[in-house]
Amino acid sequence: MNERARMSSISILPIVSSVLAIVMAFVIGGIFLEANGKDALHAYRILFERGLVNGDGLTETFKKMAPMLIVSAGLLIALRASVWNIGIDGQFMVGALLAGVAGAAVAGSVPNPLMWLIAAVAGIIGGMLWAVIPALLMVKFNLNEIITTLMMNYVAVNVCAWLVKGPFRDSSVVAPQTKQIPLADRLPFIPGTEVHIGLIVGLLCVVVVAILFRSTVYGFCLDVVGRNRKAAIHAGLPVGRLAGSALILCGAFAGLAGANDVLGIQGLFKANWDPGYGFTAFALVYLARLNSLLLIPFAFFFSFLLVGGDSMPRRADVPTYFVGMLEGLMLICFAVAVYLERRWHAISERIRGRPDDRIEPESSSGPSALEGLEISS
Amino acid sequence: MTINGIDLFDFLTAILATGLLRAVPLVLASLGDVFAQKAGLLNLGIEGMMLAGCFFGFYAAYHTESVPLGLLAGMAAGLALALLFAVLTVHLRVDQVLVGLAITIFAAGLTGYLFRDLFGGQNVSASVRPMTIRIPLLADIPIIGKALFDRQLLFYIAWLLVPIFAFVLNRTRFGLNVRAVGENPFAADAAGVNVIQVRYLAMSLAGIMAGFAGAFLAVADLKIFTIGMTVGQGFIALAITMIGGWSPWKIAFAAILFGMLNALGDSLQIIGVNVRTEFIGMFPYIGIMIAMIVLARRTSVPAALAVPYARGQR
Amino acid sequence: MGHEIASPPAPLPVGRGEIERLTCLGDSRPHCHSERSEESLRGDEVTGMRERKEKHVSTNLGEVLHCEPLVSTWGTSVGTTDDMTDGTATTQERAMVQPIVSMREIDKRFGPVRANDKVSLTLYPGEIHAVLGENGAGKTTLMNILSGMYQPDGGTIELDGKPITIGSPSEALAHGIGTVYQHFTLVPNLSVIENVVLGTKTGFVLNLSKGEQRLKEVLTEFELNTDPNVEVRHLSIGQRQRVEIIKVLMRGTRVLLLDEPTSVLTPTEVEGLFRILRRLREEGVSVVIITHKLEEALDVSDRVTILRGGKNVGELGPDDIASAGRAGARQRIVETMFGGMPAAAETFQQHVATGKTLLELSGVSAIGDRGEIAIRELSIQLRAGEIYGIAGVDGNGQKELGEIIAGQRKTTTGRLALDGTDYTNAGVATLSRAGVGYITDDRLGEGVVPGMSVAQNAALKTINRSPFSKGFWLDRKAIEANANTLIEQFSVRTPSAQTKITLLSGGNIQKLMLARELAMDPRVIVCNKPTYGLDLKTAQFVLQTLRQEADSGKAVLLISSELDEILEISDRIGVIYNGEIVETFERAQVDIETVGRLMLSGRAAVAGSAA
Repeated sequence: MNERARMSSISILPIVSSVLAIVMAFVIGGIFLEANGKDALHAYRILFERGLVNGDGLTETFKKMAPMLIVSAGLLIALRASVWNIGIDGQFMVGALLAGVAGAAVAGSVPNPLMWLIAAVAGIIGGMLWAVIPALLMVKFNLNEIITTLMMNYVAVNVCAWLVKGPFRDSSVVAPQTKQIPLADRLPFIPGTEVHIGLIVGLLCVVVVAILFRSTVYGFCLDVVGRNRKAAIHAGLPVGRLAGSALILCGAFAGLAGANDVLGIQGLFKANWDPGYGFTAFALVYLARLNSLLLIPFAFFFSFLLVGGDSMPRRADVPTYFVGMLEGLMLICFAVAVYLERRWHAISERIRGRPDDRIEPESSSGPSALEGLEISS
Repeated sequence: MTINGIDLFDFLTAILATGLLRAVPLVLASLGDVFAQKAGLLNLGIEGMMLAGCFFGFYAAYHTESVPLGLLAGMAAGLALALLFAVLTVHLRVDQVLVGLAITIFAAGLTGYLFRDLFGGQNVSASVRPMTIRIPLLADIPIIGKALFDRQLLFYIAWLLVPIFAFVLNRTRFGLNVRAVGENPFAADAAGVNVIQVRYLAMSLAGIMAGFAGAFLAVADLKIFTIGMTVGQGFIALAITMIGGWSPWKIAFAAILFGMLNALGDSLQIIGVNVRTEFIGMFPYIGIMIAMIVLARRTSVPAALAVPYARGQR
Repeated sequence: MGHEIASPPAPLPVGRGEIERLTCLGDSRPHCHSERSEESLRGDEVTGMRERKEKHVSTNLGEVLHCEPLVSTWGTSVGTTDDMTDGTATTQERAMVQPIVSMREIDKRFGPVRANDKVSLTLYPGEIHAVLGENGAGKTTLMNILSGMYQPDGGTIELDGKPITIGSPSEALAHGIGTVYQHFTLVPNLSVIENVVLGTKTGFVLNLSKGEQRLKEVLTEFELNTDPNVEVRHLSIGQRQRVEIIKVLMRGTRVLLLDEPTSVLTPTEVEGLFRILRRLREEGVSVVIITHKLEEALDVSDRVTILRGGKNVGELGPDDIASAGRAGARQRIVETMFGGMPAAAETFQQHVATGKTLLELSGVSAIGDRGEIAIRELSIQLRAGEIYGIAGVDGNGQKELGEIIAGQRKTTTGRLALDGTDYTNAGVATLSRAGVGYITDDRLGEGVVPGMSVAQNAALKTINRSPFSKGFWLDRKAIEANANTLIEQFSVRTPSAQTKITLLSGGNIQKLMLARELAMDPRVIVCNKPTYGLDLKTAQFVLQTLRQEADSGKAVLLISSELDEILEISDRIGVIYNGEIVETFERAQVDIETVGRLMLSGRAAVAGSAA
């Protein structure tokens, strides 16, 4: 197979099945809405119009896209290494809180770019801090990171609420929240738009992750760990350190996303502010087939879904939670699509013939987070 | 004996009573999850199944004002999601973690949507009266009497399920099949056990129990529904199953422990100790992690947990 | 099928004396002595077969085991056989017997590969039937079809002359076809009795105590003195195999399939297994053993079916074997099995190692995966230019030994030195840089990364070295160029370097792993079962390559459970038993009998053994 043949064999099939899964989810969701006595088409029109067509809505979509990109770029690192970081929400919150506190503390006394940097670093540290604990538990005690990261989410909710009601509280206002960063000191807009430059940070994050997996030893090693841990040990890779670092790195991205939202939009951290990007990021990264560059279109898609979903209650009498439901449906349909894809491969192999002299069918070892997923940078 | 003017006995009774009540949903969900995990299914959808149990149980109870119907509706909701999980993971052999998360996300969205749509987001409570049974004499024992023997019927039923589940797991053919399927599905298949069927049954049981747990929470205990009201209790139940070493007895013990941790905040406030609820609120979650660290090396996970089975592949 | 272990325990009529008679049968019956002439052996077996034909089925052990008293059958039938030493079954006689199973023109395809191409197999009641063939000849596929694991793409299966379909393993069991798989199908965490009961269909509640006594008796019958309540993971491999056989027999099995049953057994355990199989034959159970070991097939079977490349290439019945004699039969089988190619390749020239000591393990101990002591105070010295073969029965610490040298497993005591320098617990990366190459036996499990390309897998172990990477960055061109070189040098069959590794055959993956290791130019090469599952040609290629490496001054540690290949290329041989090297031999001084006994018991002389 020459280079060109190979390029074309990075087939579009995985993307097709993702898109089909999304379409199916919309169809099922629509049937659900109709059954529930709503006008599904109207609701969907609102959903798309708001996030895609309205100039205003498009701006919102792009604003939303920034944290989506950052969070999913981080999650991609973890998932490629088969590390199930479900604690993104917690890492995001702690990052946002620390960024809010640090940003507000130095705002006005240092030049803005420096303040942004300090806040971003604080956010990254916050996110990493929250990921270090499950990472250590995973590496040192062999604890399942799914459960520990989940638990850390709930701990984060409590810790952040406690801090924001106590030590970090802005005593000048009634509501429990951190001190506000003045509007003028927040992230500037991308020239000609009303979208803050966080979007560019998000795109950069994705590019960095793409390069990481395409061209670096570290990315290669993470892929090996993710696909076959035993082979990684056999090859002499520091498996624990790699997996742990992937989790911490993912936390860093989540924390950065928190800082981004504080610096770009919120200006402060409020108690009980939990945007719940974690599960959305999951759906996003999976539908993008763990492929870094595909994160960009899918992040755009999920962003306008969220933005559109926000306007559905008012204009279509459909609760916002419909979008969450839709995300779940997409993942469920995606699961079916993964299965169909596998069947398709089996059938096409039978037709084409396989380039081997293997007699017995062999299955790969154990379960893999990457099962059935096309991975190419 | 008094502290800050509060009777210590009252305090102990309160913490025991609340703790045992808080433990009920955990133990119910965990008991079902033992069968799922022992059969090789890592059910991250348990949180969603529990939440669905909460909502649909509450919805039925609100309209029928009947506890049994509420519970049935909750169990049916849990079962429906469990069957979805089983179809995707057992039949289509898709990654269990992915499917589990998908179901939890879906259920969170669905229940939120329906609650907003059907109740307009109003916090209404179901007017149900769970049957309370006071066991004479025993209920008069100090401290534990009121906590143990003056409770609603479901409370007794829940704890009675522990020995029943232990019996089914260890002493029945179905239990044996479940244990074999999660440990070595190939062996079970070769011995003539229908692996697919056993996994379906185990998952159904887990779903029903998760739905039961949710319905208990929303119908029999709190009598209200709030969006996302399970706050990770399903995941905690999943962890308790592991911490309890897949033994119903140990699971009951672990569940009580975490129920108590959960109740600590309430109880401390009763005796007037001023602690932030947020501070207390994270105890159970931290407790889970500590328990896992302590027990990490002693548990042996079912060998085929989260591994799909296809005949002819090893 | 209505009966099983939970039925009331029946009294055991076999008295103490009889049991003793049974257990010493193996020694008292002439054909257990390998020295005796093959002709009369065959005659015996065939006679026994005719005898069994007459009283066939009524004493089916399977049925007996679970519903009738264990009839004093074994003693009597043996007596009869001993009396009848002259007869030989004729073709006419056999033609009158209806086959119990006949598989006709079975087709099974995996992708483009026809694993079974119109394969037929006829099995008569009360015979031991060997299916012989090389790895990849389609034996296991055929068996999996009969056991219900696979569905055939074409062909028919008849049981007692009636066509049947076998949709699942449980259907096979219902038809009386029981299978003992190569990888045992016992659940390690369940007790013996739970494993035996598993899958039987009776009431909801288990009543194990009822069947316990009964099972204990059966276990004794099979020379197993274990408590039925002990968990299977505590049993030895040989014991597990017997439990496995008991398990299927207790389901009323009339046709017993065994897939490579001897591959995990010691010579003595093999003898014990054959003893059991012969006893089952006396009871009218038909036994199919799948094997690639010709001598074993000749030792135990009445009839041999030979497969090659998924096709029937020959069958030898009792008459053929009897008339050709053992040597003649062997000759004929070899010709059909290998298509005229000689079975044994020319032996390599032996070398006397003169080099300095490259690898030294002294007093090394290590813990295995399950927390057991896998390696005990083991010492080895490996010299440049030699191949040191580690012989032993699987599971005696071979894998752990390889992992220790490769740095994949930590030692608890002792010292590992390379060329005099201490490398104890230095880790894989350091040892690899220091010149240790390790070829694992678990090719797909840890040798390669599924889903990655051949090129990426070829660079896997050296990805952080030049030329594959410069600092942080990968050099994709170098990775691909390297792969192409290795593919050419070792003639790895792959469409391209970018093909996914899992699309390659086992043999080609093995070649690539060998190439990958040798490309790092190690001083010490450790390989665990390097020819496992390979076709003869590739296996020879691998062994030759190892010999060449040793000849060029490297030290090679060859771990294998195949004594033949160790004898073929090693200069020195150490026998590993229970985590220790119990004896070391120079190749020229090897006495196979002694090695066999050492592998089994760790001792050269076994007290009271009639060797």
